[in-house]
Amino acid sequence: MPVRKATLRVVNLGRICYHSALKIQQQHIKQHLESCSTPPNTLLLCEHEPIYTTGIRRAPYNLKEEQRLQALGADFCRTNRGGLITFHGPGQLVCYPILDLGCFKKSIRWYVCELERTVISMCRMFGIEATTSPDTGVWVGENKICAIGIHCGRYITSHGLALNCNTDLTWFQHIVPCGIVGKGVTSLSQELGRDVTLGEATPKLLEAFTEQFNCTLTYDLNSVETQ
Amino acid sequence: MAMCTVLRCFSVSLTSSFTRLSSRNPLTPAKLLAKTCYRRSLSTNTPFCAALKFTDKHEWVRVDSGVATVGISNFAQEALGDVVYCGLPEIGTKLSQSDEFGALESVKAASELYSPLTGEVTDVNDALADTPGLVNKSCYKEGWLMKMTVSVPAELDGLMDEAAYERYIKSIED
Repeated sequence: MPVRKATLRVVNLGRICYHSALKIQQQHIKQHLESCSTPPNTLLLCEHEPIYTTGIRRAPYNLKEEQRLQALGADFCRTNRGGLITFHGPGQLVCYPILDLGCFKKSIRWYVCELERTVISMCRMFGIEATTSPDTGVWVGENKICAIGIHCGRYITSHGLALNCNTDLTWFQHIVPCGIVGKGVTSLSQELGRDVTLGEATPKLLEAFTEQFNCTLTYDLNSVETQ
Repeated sequence: MAMCTVLRCFSVSLTSSFTRLSSRNPLTPAKLLAKTCYRRSLSTNTPFCAALKFTDKHEWVRVDSGVATVGISNFAQEALGDVVYCGLPEIGTKLSQSDEFGALESVKAASELYSPLTGEVTDVNDALADTPGLVNKSCYKEGWLMKMTVSVPAELDGLMDEAAYERYIKSIED
């Protein structure tokens, strides 16, 4: 008997405030935790206005640091994800898989590895050779092209990955991205020497997702959800 | 494999306990009973018992003299990867069974921790601040997470013993 593939519902939120997207994530998580039936696993896609976010390791980023970054014109948010400080902004494809790992494999280590492989596979479609490293995320040489930061509670995942398409990378100069000194950041556009938009990257990321997670996608056509 | 290691450690402990006992002045029957009773299943009538019990979220708890020590199982630490940060509660925090009490970070993922029992936090493992990797290297010993009081001893009866937990893991992996 053939193994039934998991289904992922793709919801494209478009350009959305980080805090609004966070609320939408919480709603999806709540559905998984409180529903008697099996709610769909969901892939939220979006793009944010400039914001710096931190994870559960808050100590390195005090109020002074928060104010310094806000003075640059960015928002600031402390979250419950893993990973250190990062930047989200226009030109960056952000993907929040809200998955029940029970539908896949109940291991966070496996899940993060699969996310990395998904992005590496997507980069390969662009002719870019990307790799993993001892620091979680996806790298092209010494430069990170995609950051990953996850939360998992009762096997329900949230937060996710942030892939630089044609992001203004100068925003990263004001932080030590992901707390890793001496390494840089890059984007699809920087690597290819041409403008690569979210519109071009998104279908390739979704294709890589279906292959890596062995799933089928359904599309929420009326995708732009409000809170 | 982890379960065998845990059982082996207990066997060694039992053997060396008997060796020490025979070489000293004889202990009272009560003390002898206390040293050997961890092999018996835990019940509300034996507060000295130190058998491991497990939750379905892969936390373990060991009760000794009314104080419960809590950690995560070998299955859990393998599924997490290398732990780089432990977010643990303040001493004095009151927890109900299944309440979130903290989070462990590994591979840029923060995974929630759930209290196996109802009680109050009496101690947290400060060593984990500098050496969070103890959770991976010694999840049943040096990598303990917190200690708490046991407000509802009957909750322990609802947790899995080692054999049941091993069966539970097998059922997940299949």
